[in-house]
Amino acid sequence: MLKRKLNSIWTKKGVQVVQETKLSKFTSSLFVLPYFIVFVLFLLIPLIYGTYISFHDWDLLGSTHRFVGFSNYAKLFDPSTYFYSVFMNGLWNTAKFVVFSVPILIIGGLLLALLLQHLPDKVKGIFRTIFFISYCISVSVIAVLWLWLLDTNSGLFNHLLSKIGAAPIQWLTEMPYAWISIVAATVWWTVGFNMIIYINALNEVPNELYEAGSVDGATPWQKFWNITLPSIRPVMVFTIVTSTIASFNIYGQPYLMTRGGPGTSTKVLLMEIVDQAFVQRQLGIASAMAILMALIMIVISIIQFRLTRNSEGSVA
Amino acid sequence: MRKSKITLTVIAVFLGLLFMIPMIWMVATSFKTDTEALTSMSLFPKHFTFDNYVYTLFGQGLDVPIVRWLFNSLFVGVGGSLLVVIIDAMAAYGLARLNVPFKKILFPIFISTLMIPWVITFIPLYLQFGNMGWLNTYAALIFPYTANAFGVFLLYQFFRGFPKALEEAAVIDGANKWQVFIRIVLPSAKPMLWTLGIFTFMTIYNDFLWPLVSTNSIELRTITTGIAIMQQGSFVSSYGKLMALTTLATLPMLAIFLVGQRQFIKGITQTGIK
Repeated sequence: MLKRKLNSIWTKKGVQVVQETKLSKFTSSLFVLPYFIVFVLFLLIPLIYGTYISFHDWDLLGSTHRFVGFSNYAKLFDPSTYFYSVFMNGLWNTAKFVVFSVPILIIGGLLLALLLQHLPDKVKGIFRTIFFISYCISVSVIAVLWLWLLDTNSGLFNHLLSKIGAAPIQWLTEMPYAWISIVAATVWWTVGFNMIIYINALNEVPNELYEAGSVDGATPWQKFWNITLPSIRPVMVFTIVTSTIASFNIYGQPYLMTRGGPGTSTKVLLMEIVDQAFVQRQLGIASAMAILMALIMIVISIIQFRLTRNSEGSVA
Repeated sequence: MRKSKITLTVIAVFLGLLFMIPMIWMVATSFKTDTEALTSMSLFPKHFTFDNYVYTLFGQGLDVPIVRWLFNSLFVGVGGSLLVVIIDAMAAYGLARLNVPFKKILFPIFISTLMIPWVITFIPLYLQFGNMGWLNTYAALIFPYTANAFGVFLLYQFFRGFPKALEEAAVIDGANKWQVFIRIVLPSAKPMLWTLGIFTFMTIYNDFLWPLVSTNSIELRTITTGIAIMQQGSFVSSYGKLMALTTLATLPMLAIFLVGQRQFIKGITQTGIK
């Protein structure tokens, strides 16, 4: 009885569906429409517009924009131009920051996760929160805190140095200390993010593997190299790629802490782009720099995925 | 075995202190007078005072609207995340479950934009908002964050795995798509929606470069960009006031983080593993 009743409802619905297909498709599309609109307005159009700008001689305040083809890009690769030095200086400084910070963020995050894993269960949650909490602070608060810790005259670091009889250090205006300060602040700020990802990955390693390892008489060190690391490899690739991308986007820390100094030695690519766009008002050049920066980031991500996939293949 | 646990706990406490010191110091100094903040390294204020907070929030001599900045940040943060959650949930549900034309093309296009670094878009966005007369408006501080496909991606996976039986039961009861979506689908996705909401709030609240570029009126600064003004401006050597300001600015994020920590962490692990 019930079954027949249900059947009749279904056929009725079925007929309705056939009749309403057009209307039904239309109402279904309404679900996607709002996102589609913001997607087009605030992502697709800017993408096309940005590329368009990069092919023009475009002064922020000027009203006419001359088409110049690839010449903005050509300037960035022509060693005789001023733009070349700006672009390469920024790219070089950003690359340095990536190379300094990413290994610490990866290894530091993993070490913190391993440490937490071996702590008594009662205190795990507390330490997880402590190591992670700085991640939710904004970059300007980070900068204020670290500028103050690193202050030459009244900062905590130099105070501690004077206690052990060492000379004060100009943390933000001398090399290599300016980089050390920026990297330290960044690691303190974001290493907890990777830690969270690793905690999750370590929890997913099957316990049987470790038990099997113990049966075979493996030392903790051997277990780490032969069981833990291979098991979390995909997650490591992910964190390497995301940390690299995040480090590439560095802006706030040098902008607020060192102003790009000493000289222009911590002036990173994004600072140079913002400068070209809103101080020099050369939007064409700035857009070309932004597009090149994005292309470099995409290429590096792809290479990182490829490299790690290949090495995985050779191990297996 | 016991011994190694104790050693590790000691290491953890030491590292924990290193991680906490900047923040503890920030809060402690916010209760010191400016002179004490400059001269004394002690953790606890000798003359405990609320003056820094009173001045920062209600100071007569203050030439900037700090309370307005806090309001701006909360307003665009809450407004933006609400908008993102609604728009993304609708789109993800439509793409995952409904018969939307071209969805086989649309979804991959949306997702592939996750690969595109945002640095490409901020200059054209600035010009676009300028042309529309939207610079120095709340719209400028909200809309650019809505185009992020992260939420669509996150919720799409969830809706794919959502049991069909629940929807069908509602359809038999005569509910239409919107009723199914609002009464059945959204409530079941609540934890996911919170995750997305908290993430988006944090992105908007903490963002620095876009609000810096898209606003120059002092009234429309967010607290994050406002701090940068104060740090170089009138609070430059008033560490007590500066720390009161940064403590105030951090409180909303901290509260949200501590309340929604589980959702927050789930969001992070979800981005990576799937």
